[in-house]
Amino acid sequence: MAAFAKLIPQLFSFGAMLLLLLRGFPGHRLPVTAASLAGLAAGAAGTSALLGSLPGEFSFQLIRGVVGTGFLLLWGVAVGALYRGPADGSPPSRWSRLVGSTSYAALLALAASSTAGAICACRLSGTEPTALLYLGAGAAALLLAAAAWGAERLLPAPLAVTPAGLWAALVALLLYSSSHLIRLDLFAPLTMKVMKFTHDFVHQFFESMLIPDHLFILPHLWGYIGLLFGKEVGFWGGLVLWFTPPLLVILAIRFERLPSVAHIRQGAQRRKLLAAAIKSRRFKLVAPVFAVLLSAAALYRSQVPSVEYWDPKPLPVTASAAGDIFIPRKGEVDIEDGKLHKFLYQRGGKEARFFVLMTPQGELTVDLDACAICKPDGYGQAEGTVICYYCVTLIPLETVGKPGGCNPVPVPFTEKEDGALTLINTWANTVQSTAKAEEGK
Amino acid sequence: MATIETSSLTRSYGDICALKPIDLTVPQGEWLSVMGHSGSGKSTLMNLMGGLDRPSGGSLRVGGQDLSTLSEDGLARFRREFVGIIFQQHHLVPYLTATENVMLSQYFHSVPDEAEARLALERVGLGHRLKNRPGELSGGEQQRVCIARAIINSPKLLLGDEPTGNLDHKSTIMVMELLRELRAEDRFTVVMVTHNEEVAAWGDRTIYLDDGVLVREERTRS
Repeated sequence: MAAFAKLIPQLFSFGAMLLLLLRGFPGHRLPVTAASLAGLAAGAAGTSALLGSLPGEFSFQLIRGVVGTGFLLLWGVAVGALYRGPADGSPPSRWSRLVGSTSYAALLALAASSTAGAICACRLSGTEPTALLYLGAGAAALLLAAAAWGAERLLPAPLAVTPAGLWAALVALLLYSSSHLIRLDLFAPLTMKVMKFTHDFVHQFFESMLIPDHLFILPHLWGYIGLLFGKEVGFWGGLVLWFTPPLLVILAIRFERLPSVAHIRQGAQRRKLLAAAIKSRRFKLVAPVFAVLLSAAALYRSQVPSVEYWDPKPLPVTASAAGDIFIPRKGEVDIEDGKLHKFLYQRGGKEARFFVLMTPQGELTVDLDACAICKPDGYGQAEGTVICYYCVTLIPLETVGKPGGCNPVPVPFTEKEDGALTLINTWANTVQSTAKAEEGK
Repeated sequence: MATIETSSLTRSYGDICALKPIDLTVPQGEWLSVMGHSGSGKSTLMNLMGGLDRPSGGSLRVGGQDLSTLSEDGLARFRREFVGIIFQQHHLVPYLTATENVMLSQYFHSVPDEAEARLALERVGLGHRLKNRPGELSGGEQQRVCIARAIINSPKLLLGDEPTGNLDHKSTIMVMELLRELRAEDRFTVVMVTHNEEVAAWGDRTIYLDDGVLVREERTRS
């Protein structure tokens, strides 16, 4: 039951998706419904098989890539909508003939719903699959399809969905659906990409302008330049990229040309036609506005994920005269339970947090609760990953212990015969060198 | 083709029967005057024809639509697109100019168009009063703004409820002449309720109501 409850947002997204598709392709109700249901089942089954055969992050990265591709395509569709030709008077273009065809309707329904199915399967990863769960999810999907059929007939007749509006809403539903899984969330990696792009761009700019880093620029000026490398730049840049496509679709609809009425003699008739066109244009805004709201919900999910991170209180430890720290294998905590265990070492009024973790490969790893890039806000553990609290980067458990990027900085250690870990001169070897590296940036 | 067709049309308010079964046909383009004493059912009949009220019994078809079967939305659409009404009391918005008062009618019909509203006011001879508010206009001028407001949406049926009731003789003649000209140009049907024999005589036909009963009808114009 709890596993089924986890699927509720995804299933409702599927229902809304079908409702939009039915309204977007009013002449193709049956193929759209059949393709949606088949796509959902195929996407869920295929991804379950993939997750079973390829454990680890690959499947999640693949699905996130699919959602990301949809988001990129939406950018193209939104920009294209702005440059679309006049809607009235001209003969239908090849594009409008394509989007009105049954094959396009079925293909879009299949693509969207199979991605939705894949997200459902990812959502259930780690849950013991039972026949009852599959049966319940299948029955819910059928019920939602029936509800979407009924609800579509209740929608006001002028509520039309433009092809671009449909894209915006479908992609937003997928983003919302995937934002419930931190491993499929798209906003956090987007902000990272923006941050990295800005960082690299500034560096490249300085290099191309032959501006030496420290010689001529006053230190306080570096403070301002440094703002470009901050998390906020990534967040606000990501925000712009995130909301631009549905807003472009809204603009495209807003600027849609009104029908020419100059040839109509009677003023009232002229105004009536204009009013009808304005009303229809207003109704067309519903889908992209819905997309904006869903994107905002997905963004909120990304920023305030509902998953509970495993983040235990650090246990204080001390070091020997040589600076080595000993951690018993079965002491106050069981370091082999696959969970992240934090420890706190204090020296000279300064402190260093580190954690011990047994990776899924069965290897113990000891790492600082900080990376060499971000502020040391620390890490939490959830859904097969650890997450950097500062930059919200997800690091698969399999890669914890490997140095580089936003990965936690590994701490060298040895294992004694009784299994206890000895962290070798941690303060001098790891903490100070990491701190220096951060200062030097 | 008939604009209005009634068959055994009645309207009761509780025990009071304001309109007893009436059979009436108003052909397209006709000017029908409705006369009768106070309380004879004239305004009730006009309200029913304009979709402002619903019949208690019988059938009422206006412009081919059975008004008794229309929903509230349908009735509102019918009023918006089919009917223009001129009241005795003008009912102009006092803080809007003459042009804006006409544009208000366009707004509720579809979209406002200031140029068209100005043209309508020029048609009724108020081209020099476009920016004046109702308080700055004479009674006759106000009534002409009402006429512009009533015809701006090209109604098929123009209803007048004592439109000259509080106008002097000169203004009455002006308003009547204006209505006759507009009807000749736009070919709408007119139903005008009046107490005044002289005003009724401007119509093609006059019907007389007494205590909710159509008692007499006479053709006033060939």
